[in-house]
Amino acid sequence: MSTMTVILAAISLYLVAGIIFTIIFQLKGLSKIDEGVNGSGWGFRIIIIPGCIVFWTGLLRKWIKANKEIIDPAKEHA
Amino acid sequence: MGASYLAVGWNRQKKIYDWLIFAFCVLYLATFVVLTAIFNPDYTFETVLIRATSTLAVIILHVTLSIGPLTRINKKFLPLLYNRRHLGVSMFCIILVHGSFSILQFHSLGNVNPFVSLFTSNTHFGSLADFPFQALGFFALIIFFLMAITSHDFWLHNLSPKVWKTLHMFVYLAYFLVVMHVMLGVIQYETNPVFIIIMLIGAFTLIALHLIAGTREVNKDDVIYKLKQDGYVLVCDVKDIEEDRAKMFCLDTERIAVYKTGGKLFAVNNVCKHQNGPLGEGKVIDGCITCPWHGYQYLPQNGQSPPPFKEKVSTYDVKLEGTHVWLNPKAYAEGTERPGAVISVVNAE
Ligand code: HEM
Ligand code: FES
Repeated sequence: MSTMTVILAAISLYLVAGIIFTIIFQLKGLSKIDEGVNGSGWGFRIIIIPGCIVFWTGLLRKWIKANKEIIDPAKEHA
Repeated sequence: MGASYLAVGWNRQKKIYDWLIFAFCVLYLATFVVLTAIFNPDYTFETVLIRATSTLAVIILHVTLSIGPLTRINKKFLPLLYNRRHLGVSMFCIILVHGSFSILQFHSLGNVNPFVSLFTSNTHFGSLADFPFQALGFFALIIFFLMAITSHDFWLHNLSPKVWKTLHMFVYLAYFLVVMHVMLGVIQYETNPVFIIIMLIGAFTLIALHLIAGTREVNKDDVIYKLKQDGYVLVCDVKDIEEDRAKMFCLDTERIAVYKTGGKLFAVNNVCKHQNGPLGEGKVIDGCITCPWHGYQYLPQNGQSPPPFKEKVSTYDVKLEGTHVWLNPKAYAEGTERPGAVISVVNAE
């Protein structure tokens, strides 16, 4: 396998993971990380899909952080 | 701004703006196709499409990148700035056609993966005349892609303004890649130098505009205010400020906008909370200071965005003595209510 093929495979893998993440995230995580999402329409949700697939690692980090804050409200005052 | 997100923040003005962009693009592409059909009837449809979209995108790219410095040189251009990101996204959609068709035409006929072919079919990286210019276009396209998919305000908040801004500054790298892509590509495909000349004129215009706008900003900030008392600095005459507009002053490296509205003067920090837009270049609309860039609003007396929004900027004290405007550069906490300075009839005359 050439270097190019390896790089391409890695990128494809990352993006496939992003697609899977985006499906779950749109259903469960999106409204947790940003209150502005509440009350927004499906047009908004569609328009951010490509970004979710590419920047999924960053969103995942935010989502985990948001979950921690809900479980442990004491931290909000820290 | 803290309320619910919309897919696209359309209003009447933005709709007109978008229809104009759309009409221009259609007209341009149609003209290009017709002219090619008349003068170069042997070109394939793919070639025409590749060239029509690439040249259109380059025009839009130049317009987009000129808007920033133009508005700093003359406020008449502000309406263009208002909807700049729609121009950017349109540019990406158009150039995506160019990139896709180029890959289809030049790299998808063999049995090698087209993306692998894009980088391996030509490896003359040391040669100017044979340089793999398509790779340059590819990286530029990736940058435009990342900018387009993050153009919604959701991304500004969730990638953090700093990361977002950095990502969008890469447009200048992308622009450089495009210049090189065109210059090195055209040498290989064309004998007609007109593409190179147009590209060079465009690039020089852009650089000149940025330089002019840049030196103007520096000159503005370098004004030294000599008269000071009790922490206040004499900045201007009350007549220098138009009704519902502001003048911007740079005191102790802080930029402050002094607004005149409803018979009073108010001072707020010049930097918009959205993307650091210059509040002093906006105007008062419906009683709110309105940022010229994307329309975020703040109340003049306390620097707070009207509910349900939550943005706040710092406020400052202003006072009037005769017709002289005195400004105190000490910032109050963001959102602090200040009384402002009442302009009496005597001052106004
Ligand atoms: C995947 C990305 C890209 C590929 C594979 C690609 C490929 C090509 C090819 C093969 C040509 C020569 C076409 C011909 O004359 O028949 C060309 C020319 C050109 N490209 Fe690109 N390009 C890409 C991205 C871009 C981008 C992002 C821009 C600018 C925004 C751009 C602007 C131009 C221009 C202005 C020309 C010269 C006019 C023309 O011949 O079409 N390209 N590109
Ligand atoms: S910078 Fe976007 S509204 Fe002010």
